[in-house]
Amino acid sequence: MAAAEGLRPGAGTEFTRRAPGSPTLRLAGRRLLAAIPVLWGVTFLTYVVMNLLPGDTAQLLLGANATPAEIHQLSVELHLNEPFWVRYGNWLGAVFHGSLGTSLQNGENVTTILGARLPVTAELLLYAFVVSLVLAVGLALLVARWPNGIMDRLSLVISMMGLSVAPYVLALVLIYLFAVKVQWFPAIGYTSPSANLVENIKSLTLPAIAIGLPLFAVYTRLLRADILEQLQREDYIVTARAKGVRPWPILLRHALPNSMFGLITLVGLNLGTLIGATAIIEPIFSLPGAGDILVQSINDHDVPVIEGIVVVFAVVVVVANLLADLLYAALDPRIRYGRVAS
Amino acid sequence: MAASLPDLLLTAEKAPADSARARGQAGWARSLRLWLPAGFLILLAAACFLWPQVYPVPKPVGGSVLNAGLPPLSPGHIFGTDPVGNDVFSRILYGGQVSFEVGFAVTAIGLAVGGSLGVTAGYWGGTVDAIISRVLDVLIAFPALVLALAIAEGLGPSELHVIWALSVFSIPATGRIARSATLALREQTFMLAARLSGTRGPRILLRHVIPNIVPQLMTFSLLGFGVVIILEGALSYLGLGIPLPEASWGSMIAQGQQTLTASPDLVLIPSAFLFATVMSLNLVGDALRERWAI
Amino acid sequence: MTGVLLEVSDLKVTFAGRGRPVRAVDGVSFSVYAGQTLAIVGESGSGKTVSCRAVMGLLPPAAVVTGSAAFAGTQLIGLSDDQLRAHRGANVAMVFQDPTRSLNPTMRIGSQIAEAVRAHRPVGKAQARERAVELLRQVHIPLPERRCTEYPHQLSGGMRQRVMIAIALACRPRLLIADEATTALDVTTQAQIMELLLELQAELGMALMLISHDLGLAASYADEVIVMYAGRIVEQAPAPQLFSRVRMPYTQALLEAIPRLERPAHAPLPVIGGRPPDLSALPAGCSFAPRCRHAADDCRAAEPPLAEHEPGHRWACWHPVGAGT
Repeated sequence: MAAAEGLRPGAGTEFTRRAPGSPTLRLAGRRLLAAIPVLWGVTFLTYVVMNLLPGDTAQLLLGANATPAEIHQLSVELHLNEPFWVRYGNWLGAVFHGSLGTSLQNGENVTTILGARLPVTAELLLYAFVVSLVLAVGLALLVARWPNGIMDRLSLVISMMGLSVAPYVLALVLIYLFAVKVQWFPAIGYTSPSANLVENIKSLTLPAIAIGLPLFAVYTRLLRADILEQLQREDYIVTARAKGVRPWPILLRHALPNSMFGLITLVGLNLGTLIGATAIIEPIFSLPGAGDILVQSINDHDVPVIEGIVVVFAVVVVVANLLADLLYAALDPRIRYGRVAS
Repeated sequence: MAASLPDLLLTAEKAPADSARARGQAGWARSLRLWLPAGFLILLAAACFLWPQVYPVPKPVGGSVLNAGLPPLSPGHIFGTDPVGNDVFSRILYGGQVSFEVGFAVTAIGLAVGGSLGVTAGYWGGTVDAIISRVLDVLIAFPALVLALAIAEGLGPSELHVIWALSVFSIPATGRIARSATLALREQTFMLAARLSGTRGPRILLRHVIPNIVPQLMTFSLLGFGVVIILEGALSYLGLGIPLPEASWGSMIAQGQQTLTASPDLVLIPSAFLFATVMSLNLVGDALRERWAI
Repeated sequence: MTGVLLEVSDLKVTFAGRGRPVRAVDGVSFSVYAGQTLAIVGESGSGKTVSCRAVMGLLPPAAVVTGSAAFAGTQLIGLSDDQLRAHRGANVAMVFQDPTRSLNPTMRIGSQIAEAVRAHRPVGKAQARERAVELLRQVHIPLPERRCTEYPHQLSGGMRQRVMIAIALACRPRLLIADEATTALDVTTQAQIMELLLELQAELGMALMLISHDLGLAASYADEVIVMYAGRIVEQAPAPQLFSRVRMPYTQALLEAIPRLERPAHAPLPVIGGRPPDLSALPAGCSFAPRCRHAADDCRAAEPPLAEHEPGHRWACWHPVGAGT
């Protein structure tokens, strides 16, 4: 989105020399540089929030019956009494060395915990994304071919409903309908793909729908609006019609490629916010993913785990947005080839 | 949450190109699309806040266990009672109060703080913009729910804390919209004309910028209102929002989940209200966007 | 060379506006002969573009088109989109005003031309590519093979317009409509494009319709000129006759507004006062009357009919200039 702001097919006839290096790479470099302060900001903010919250960590961990001596000892062990900046420095240093700390709850390495849990979340999100994207593109094309028809009105209603539903509510309704009433899918539990692929897909289907339906709704609406706008307001569509091109090729070769840009930006933004959704959905379905452990850690006040997860998530968000921007640039020939005129 | 604020409108979802007016649709049909959901919202809000004042309703808390688990349409309890014996109908009303209060407060804070930041960044550009944008970027990249959970966990659940927590999310979202709307406006010729004629900054902001971005901010806020209500529900669902035994649609859903198979209505009734409220907000937002051709 | 190619009769186009319908084209009739160059001249909103797009069926669905437009005997108005597609590009082709926006920014030039070819000819991709190169050569674009792999934004405005012409010529149409094809270009490029169009017309034996607001352009390049105002034809004549014996005050005013070398330096250009009429609320009587120097009461009362008052010269005016009335 930001990538092509202000760039229009040049009406200029100036001679421009190609700057060294491809425009795409330079764009990538700029975005990367801009991302670094954001990354730092997020990690810093995480650390601040986690560590400045009231509530004595040591006390919480040891429970109500702990003696002051025990609390003090644990505090020293966990370096909880040192000045904030020292702790932050230590932690940041550790992160750069790849170590995200140890869980206060069970002493496990945070990296190990995440290593086990992130794939589950990743698979879930991938499932939700791919299905909702494919369906959205398909539906948007169909309704763009016959705008204001029955299918169009139906799709508008469905997407409005999909937008308005809360994922946790949807999850419960899905469980009730498809896991209790008709037992097509398991209500809870997770089977890893290496154990049984079919069961794996089944165990992820209901959660993927819970996350994916609002996505599908947003994508369909956006794509439909974009495609229709192309069809009705863009001159090159008129040219294509004047050439005698048939409706489907116009949609697929002209309207759709030019409508993808908004979608790409949106997907990039989505990747970040979906992480919050997994924190609600995974516990409902008892999926051993990163969202689930996040909620647990917050309840347990297991600060290192929380910090580790948030840092990873923040990195994912920034990287996802970066990739979206790059993809945007790669697909838009106006950026890819710069403005070489003759 | 999925499909949340930044996503929906940062990519400037436009009014449908084939607006109803262009299709020659009757004016009353278009008016209906705006006033039906708007009317529902007004009625619902009125009911939630005023009904308990006017008509006697059973208290939403402190019910007797002897009354527990009554089904809907039982005498005296039109929506039944929950496992603890509280009247569901009155809990819906009071829960609705919470939803509207939180939604309104968070949206208002977002508009006031986020809106100001965004307009400032967009109008002045340069370093000011760079700094504000970075800050907003950081806040948006930070998983909002995590922050909300952390605040709730650390400070203890309460309606006020929920409002703070969700504001941290609403401020950058609104800020980004305000910023991009201001940027788009800045390029227009009338802005240049105002600057050239010597109008000073604050006056330009007040008289030119703000009135022109109000439509966009309004439709965005309507959608945001719905998202905030859902988020408040999520927090309460996790036990980190409005604390029990106070009523909130989210916590009612969580409670109802335990008896999902036996009496699904304990989940379905608050879910239905949640859904209807958010959908009406979205519908009003859509109708306004179409009307103002944003 | 003398057959009637396109016969338009009582063409009307109405748009459902906010409240009152907008009559963009209000009963227009004209003929285009094979090999002829016809210019349609008028201000913005005169209905010239809408008429041509109506003939090709390229108006938005909100437009209501009535009347007749027969191409080589086949009635075009009322045909379904499917049926019209057989004509678009194959028999009648169009070149648009803004080549920047009229080309797909994400598709290579060669593909866009090849697409035009394959819309009507069952040829393979390779063959279509060859034809694209050939067409680019025909419109005098240097290094056509290389151009085929480039994107529109990599070309200058004049070149993009040549590409548009190449696309229009892909299937050797018998009628080419140039809708303000040179308006967005600088003066030198304008002349080049016009020369190109005439050259191609001679080469391919096409009829050419020039839509423009530039009367000077019409004077230089057209055989026959039609002047439109507020959705109606107000004057039509062969070019030399129109300019030497102009009748309609509107046309005369347009002619006077063309800057001329003979005028004294810094002399103010005579302008036509007032504004173009609101097409949803046309006045009774002559639509030009509010702005006409010679307007009289009967002008405001009744609309003058378009009639052939002199051989080959039609006009619609109660008090034409120079005819003595």
